[in-house]
Amino acid sequence: MGDYAMGTNRHLLRVENLRTYFPIRKGLLRRTVGYLKAVNGVSFAIEAGQTVGLVGESGCGKTTVARNIVRLTPATGGRVVFDGKDVLSAGGDELRRIRGEIGLVFQDSYGSLNPRMTVGDTVGEPLKVWGKIGRSEIAERVRALLSKVGLSRHCINRYPHEISGGERQRVGVARALALEPKLVICDEPVSSLDVSIQAQILNLLKDLQDEFGLTFLFIAHDLAVVEFFCDVVAVMHTGRIVEQAPAKELYRNPLHPYTCTLISAVPRAKPGVQRPRKLFRTEPLEGSKGVSRRDARGVLNCLSGCVFYPECTERQEKCLRRMPELDEKEYRRGHYVACWKS
Amino acid sequence: MDLIANNKRDVKKSDGNETLLSVRNLSTDFFAEEGIVRAVQDVGFSIRRGRTLALVGESGCGKTATALSIVRLVPAAQGKIVGGQIVFEGRNLLDLSERQMREIRGNGIGMIFQEPMSSLNPVYTVGDQIAEAIRLHQEKGCKEAWADAVEMLRAVGIADPQRRAREYPHQMSGGMCQRVMIAVAVSCEPALLIADEPTTALDVTTQGKILDLLDRLQKQSEMSILLITHDLGVVAQRADEAAVMYASRIVETADSRRLFVEPLHPYTQGLWESLLRLGFSGRRLRVIPGSVPAPLQFPAGCKFHPRCSKGRSDNRCRSVEPELREVEAGRCVACWHARGYEDKA
Amino acid sequence: MSEQGRIVEARPGKGAGLWLDAVRRLCKRKLAMVCLGVVMVYFLLAGFVYLAEMFDWRVGPTRWGEEVGQSYAPPSSKNILGTDIFGQSVLRKTLYGARISISVALFASLISIAIGVPLGAIGGYFRGFVDEVIVWIYSTLSSIPYVLLILAFAVVLRDKTVLGHRLTGIAAAYLAIGLTSWVGICRLIRGEVIKHKDREYILAAVSYGCSRRRIILRHLMPNVFHIVIIDFSLRFVAFVHAEVILSFLGLGEPNRPSWGAMINDARMELSRGVWWQMAAATAAVFLFCLALNIFGDALRDSLDPKLRIQ
Repeated sequence: MGDYAMGTNRHLLRVENLRTYFPIRKGLLRRTVGYLKAVNGVSFAIEAGQTVGLVGESGCGKTTVARNIVRLTPATGGRVVFDGKDVLSAGGDELRRIRGEIGLVFQDSYGSLNPRMTVGDTVGEPLKVWGKIGRSEIAERVRALLSKVGLSRHCINRYPHEISGGERQRVGVARALALEPKLVICDEPVSSLDVSIQAQILNLLKDLQDEFGLTFLFIAHDLAVVEFFCDVVAVMHTGRIVEQAPAKELYRNPLHPYTCTLISAVPRAKPGVQRPRKLFRTEPLEGSKGVSRRDARGVLNCLSGCVFYPECTERQEKCLRRMPELDEKEYRRGHYVACWKS
Repeated sequence: MDLIANNKRDVKKSDGNETLLSVRNLSTDFFAEEGIVRAVQDVGFSIRRGRTLALVGESGCGKTATALSIVRLVPAAQGKIVGGQIVFEGRNLLDLSERQMREIRGNGIGMIFQEPMSSLNPVYTVGDQIAEAIRLHQEKGCKEAWADAVEMLRAVGIADPQRRAREYPHQMSGGMCQRVMIAVAVSCEPALLIADEPTTALDVTTQGKILDLLDRLQKQSEMSILLITHDLGVVAQRADEAAVMYASRIVETADSRRLFVEPLHPYTQGLWESLLRLGFSGRRLRVIPGSVPAPLQFPAGCKFHPRCSKGRSDNRCRSVEPELREVEAGRCVACWHARGYEDKA
Repeated sequence: MSEQGRIVEARPGKGAGLWLDAVRRLCKRKLAMVCLGVVMVYFLLAGFVYLAEMFDWRVGPTRWGEEVGQSYAPPSSKNILGTDIFGQSVLRKTLYGARISISVALFASLISIAIGVPLGAIGGYFRGFVDEVIVWIYSTLSSIPYVLLILAFAVVLRDKTVLGHRLTGIAAAYLAIGLTSWVGICRLIRGEVIKHKDREYILAAVSYGCSRRRIILRHLMPNVFHIVIIDFSLRFVAFVHAEVILSFLGLGEPNRPSWGAMINDARMELSRGVWWQMAAATAAVFLFCLALNIFGDALRDSLDPKLRIQ
C-alpha cells in the first residue's frame, strides 16, 4: 500500500501534550496560589474512520479535553492538530472553519437545545450559519437528517420541552451531523438517558458509524458503553491518560491498577456472582489527607508522583517520586500503560 | 460504629419474617396543568425487617412518587393520595395526623435523595444538619447532639469527622455529601430507609462504596431498605427482592435472583436484554421499541402493550389491563401472557 | 439501517413554543385579564386623543387656557368632576391627560430599552474591559439622585433643537426620563446574559462556528427577552410617576392637560377647598398603576420558565 506517511499524516486528529490549568485564587487580593491541572499532559491520536473512547470518572478531565479540541475552553499548552491544521493557534475565521468540520453531541439533551427554537430550527441552524444554501434546500436537508436519526417529519415544528429525552438526544445527533463533519465528538451522550433509551441511541450511533464511516471521539464514564462502541479506549485519571489499548484488549487484559479498579467496580448484572476482590485501598480514604478530594488532586499535582498514588493498592516508593509516562511501555500491540508496576 | 449498636430501641433479632412495611393498593394523583395525572396506581408490595427491596423502573414510572407517598411528603398543592393503605410497624400511615407523621419521618422512616449536593442546605454546616435531625427526634441538648453528629460522620466513613463537621456542603465532593445525607437519615436509627436513586449522580467507584456503606449499616441495625433505582446491576447485587414499575403500576415482583434468571413480564425481559454489559460481543443491542408513554397519554388496556411483541396485536392486552397476581410463592406478575397467570385468575 | 435502531415517532401537530404557553397560562388568570382590560382602556383612550390631535378631529377644546365657564365649580350633574380655574371640565382634562402621561411613559420606555438592552447584552457576553466600562457608566449614573438627574436633563433639553425639530416640553420629558432610566434593564439583561452564555446550547452554537453577533441576536436574545417584557410592564408605572413629578415641578407640557399638571395646580387649590382636580388625577394614576402592577406580576409568573411544570 506504500504507506510512506510517518504515521502522522493519516491521523485526523492528533493531541500532543495537552495541558489546561485553571488558576486557584485565594485571599482578599485574589492571588493565584496554585493551579488546578484539569488536563495535565494528554496525548492521543485518532485515525479517519476510527472511534476512540475516553473513559474516566467525573473530574478526570475528559470533558475538558473535548472542549479544548474545539476551543470552547482555552488550553494552557500543548498542540491539537486537526486535519493538518493547528487548532490552538488558529485565528478567528480559520477557527470557525475548523469548528464547522467537527460535530459535538452533548450530555444534557435538554440543556443543549435552545428552548425557544423548534427542532427544525435547531437542526437547520448550522446550515444557516454557513449560509451557502437556500431556504428550501435547508428544509430538505433537515428532513433528511431527521430521518437519518429516526425522527419523523412531524418533529420539525416541535419544541424541546415537547419531546422526550431520547428524541432530544436524537436531535442533538442530527445537529452534530448537519455540516457533514469529519469528526464527531460525543460527550457522554447516553449518560443521562434511561436504560432502554440508551440502547436505542447507542444502536443509532453504531448504525451511523457503520453506514457513513464516521470518526468518533467518544467520552463516557460507563465502561460497558465504551467497550461496545469504541475501537480504542483511553482511561483517564486526574488529567492524564493512564492506559490506552484496543477495546477488547483493555477489558481482557487491564494493566493499570486504576483500570482494574474501574472494571471491578462495575456492578455485574448477575445475582450471586461473587463480587470481585476490591481493588481500592480500604476505608477511610475519603478526605484522609485532610483536604477534600478535589483539593487533594490540586495539591498532589504540585508533587511529582503518580496521580493515582493515594488510591493505588500497588504503589511503591518509586511511584511517589516520578510520574510515569504513557508511551514508555508498549506492552502489546497498541497497548500503552503509564505505571511503574508493569 | 458503636453509635448504631447503642441505640435506644431494642434491636429485635427477628427471623426475617416479620413484615415491617406493607403497601396495598396505593394510588396517588398529581395535579398538572393539563389535568389530573395518576402517577401511582394500585401499587402494593411489602418489605420485611432487615431486607432490601428494590423498586426498579425508568424515569417517569412513578417510583419517586411512590416513595414520597409512603412518607406523605407529596405537597398538598401538587398531589394527593387517593387510596390504599400503608401499614408501617402495624399502623396505617394514612390515618395518622401530620404531627404523628412528623415523628415517624426521620425516626421510623429515613429518606435519602438522588442529588446529594442539592439535598443538603448550603448555608448550614454538615454537622449542624445532622445534629438538627438528632435534636428533633431525641431529647438531646446541642452539645450532645453535635457529639453524636461527629460520631455519625465517623460511622459513615468520613475521615477526620471533627473537622469535616464544620464544613459546608459545597466544600465536599458528591460522594461525601451522599454520606452526609445517609448520616442525617440514619442518625435516629430508623427501621426503614428509603433511598431514592442514591448513587445515580455518583461515579462508579463511589457508587460501590456508598452501597457498601448501606450494607454495613443495614447489618448493624437490622434496618430495611427500600432502594429505588433504575440501575439493574445494583438490583442484582444488592437487593433481596425487586419490584418492577412501569407507567405507574407494578408489573412484576420477585426475589432478585429469580427475577434475573427468569423474568416473566415482557418489560422486564426487554430491560434485561437491552442492558449493556461488559463483554458484550454483539453488533447491536436489543431494544424495546417506542418510549415510555406520558402520564396523560396512557394507552388503554395493558400500558405496555404498544411496545410489546406479544401484546401489540392481542385484543385482550389492548383492552383489559392485567392486575398483579401471585403466580408462585413470592412472585407476582401482571401480564396476560406470563407463565402461570391464567391459572391464578 | 437495522430495524431495531430505527424508531420513528409520529405525532402530528404544531408545536407550542414557550411564548404561546405563557400566553395560555396568563389567560387563565382572571384578575390579570381584568387588569389588562383596564390598561387597554387607558391605552385606547390615549391613542384616540393622540389621533384626534393629529387629524384635528375637534373633539375637545383647542386651547385649554381659555375661560369657558364657571371657575372651580364643584362636582355636579353638569360637570361630574367639577371644573378647573378656567371652567374646563375636570373629567375631560383627566381623560385627555392620559395621552400625555402614557405617551411620555411609552417613549421613555422605548428609549431606555433601546439603550439598556444592547449595552447589557454586550457587557454580559463579552465581559472583560467592555463590561467594566459599561458597569462603570451605569454605576455612576445610578448613583446620582434620580430626580435631580431628570430635572437636569429636562431643563437642558427644553427648547433645544435636535435634528431640526424643536423639542417641546413633552419630548424633553420623555428624553430626559429615557436617557436616565436605562440602568435597571441594562443590569437585568446583563445578569441574564451572563447566566445563559455558558449554557450548553450556546456552547453548541459556538461549536459549529456561529458568529458572536448571531449568537447574541438569534440565540441569547429570545431567551432573555421575557425579562424586557416584564421589566417594561413594571417600569411603565415608574415612568408615569416620573412624568407626574416633572409636570409637578413645572417642567412638563404646558399647553395640554396632564395628570401631573393637574396635581401641580392642586397645590394652590387645596387651600381653597378645591379638591376635585387633585382627586381625579390621583385616582387616574392610581388605577392605572395598580392595574399595570397586577398584570405585570401575573406576566412575570407566566413567563418565568422555571415555574412551568415539566
